[in-house]
Amino acid sequence: MSVAAPGQEGIRIEAVSHRYGDVAILDGIRIESRPGQFIALIGPSGCGKTTLLDIMCGIRKHQSGNVLVGGRPPVEGRADTARMFARDALLPWRTASANIDFALKARRRPGNHDAITAQLLEDVGLTGFADNYPSQLSQGMRQRVALARTFSLESDFLFLDEPFGALDAQTKLVLQEKLLSLWERTRSTVVLVTHDLGEAIALADRVVVMTARPGRILADVPIDLPRPRSVSALQKTRAYHDLYAQLWDSLEQATASARLHPGGNA
Amino acid sequence: MTAGRTSHAAKVLAGRLVLLFGVGGLWELAARTGVFPAAFIGQPSIFLPGLARMFIDGSIYGPILDTLSATALAFCIGGVLALASALLLTAVPILREIVQPFLDALNALPRVALVPLFIVWFGLGMTSKVISGVSLMYFILLFNTLAGARSVDPDHRGLARSLGLGSSQIFRQIVIPTAIPAIFAGLKLGLVYTLLGVVTAELIAGGKGLGSLVSYYSNTYDANGVFAVLVVLVAVSFALSTLMEKIEGRLMRWKQP
Ligand SMILES: Nc1ncnc2c1ncn2[C@@H]1O[C@H](COP(=O)(O)OP(=O)(O)OP(=O)(O)O)[C@@H](O)[C@H]1O
Ligand SMILES: [Mg+2]
Repeated sequence: MSVAAPGQEGIRIEAVSHRYGDVAILDGIRIESRPGQFIALIGPSGCGKTTLLDIMCGIRKHQSGNVLVGGRPPVEGRADTARMFARDALLPWRTASANIDFALKARRRPGNHDAITAQLLEDVGLTGFADNYPSQLSQGMRQRVALARTFSLESDFLFLDEPFGALDAQTKLVLQEKLLSLWERTRSTVVLVTHDLGEAIALADRVVVMTARPGRILADVPIDLPRPRSVSALQKTRAYHDLYAQLWDSLEQATASARLHPGGNA
Repeated sequence: MTAGRTSHAAKVLAGRLVLLFGVGGLWELAARTGVFPAAFIGQPSIFLPGLARMFIDGSIYGPILDTLSATALAFCIGGVLALASALLLTAVPILREIVQPFLDALNALPRVALVPLFIVWFGLGMTSKVISGVSLMYFILLFNTLAGARSVDPDHRGLARSLGLGSSQIFRQIVIPTAIPAIFAGLKLGLVYTLLGVVTAELIAGGKGLGSLVSYYSNTYDANGVFAVLVVLVAVSFALSTLMEKIEGRLMRWKQP
């Protein structure tokens, strides 16, 4: 679990299918990634994105196929994986810094926790808010604390489930930039579930598009935009808009009958 | 801003004083004119001075102390028992499933109706009063605590699990803190009901407490005496809940922005 040399292996998902009772949710999913890759997962609501993330985190056991994360089958609570939720999931009875410390203690991270926490709060622009309770922070600030907590774990694998889904466009932009700058340093392998096409393109190395339920892989589009990226600058470029149009077509196919929540701004 | 707030607070205070003196005045008037006989409804101009006399000659302190000590004892015993039971039932879900319907039945039972039985079992003294208070306190706090422990945010559980915390750590670090506000609500409500349980037992059994005093005055058709003691009871109950609110505010700063 070191920052300089991320794990030797990425994520390997082969022919994974899953059903809840009679309902097929995932059908023959196959994703292979090199370590340090940033993958965005998009698809219609209910197509099984969260389920797939749960499987990669070891929270849910897949029923068929093979899953390897860092060369090992996923197990819940593994020290090299971290998960971030759509709502901040901050503990309301702990201050911002104590919420980060909660994760550090749980993972028994060595080092001076106060210093690590202060640095991370600075990284997400929350210096001076260390002793605020979540109820004393705005929603965007809370999600920034959650982002800091996720990165405090220095995990090789990050699974983010619509982490900015509940935020307004402006706040979202700020947080996407924060996420990128933190990730530039750690270069963990990331799977980001999002409904926001623009977010997927701006952040990821590749965008995997899933079909409506049962979820299959419809398209797997590499995003060959240079890094380091600036989300706001990127949105003004031609390449970004071409990719957006291309992915939009895929998504339209994916949701031929299902409802779609694009969220992005074309 | 502050000026606006003070004038608002002044208006509220003025309104309350008008209400207090208005109702008190109507009461006095009704008693004086005989619209309602003073023997039934008492008369503020008589029971308020009477109340002051009880404090001056010190005759009220004994009953207050008696009722308060029974309430404190019942509050502590009922509280400890309720928290211990809640801990056990939350830690062993199957046990909870087994006893839940019986708990619901006991909770639905109006427990003040059991007070005469308590008196038969435990005599006319302190024990019956305390047991009566405990029977109310226990269920209020138990139900509040169980509900609080159940209200854990699934995301918090998911977070703890993804961090590799075991179930006993999740219990200590997630479930208990989640339940704290509900526990406080239970303590606050429970305290007032404990007092109710104690006073009910005193009403029936006599003895030395405030409830016994109410029962003595009503048996001697002294409405003014009854109202004087009721004022004391209201004040005691009010003081107890204010105390709990102060403690709650201290301990749960995170609740308020
Ligand atoms: N525990 C469960 N039991 C039964 N069905 C479930 C369960 N969890 C999810 N489902 C169903 O599985 C399907 C996929 O759910 P999932 O949460 O993975 O979708 P999703 O792609 O994350 O959707 P969204 O974009 O709305 O978050 C949904 O139709 C949902 O109703
Ligand atoms: Mg989902």
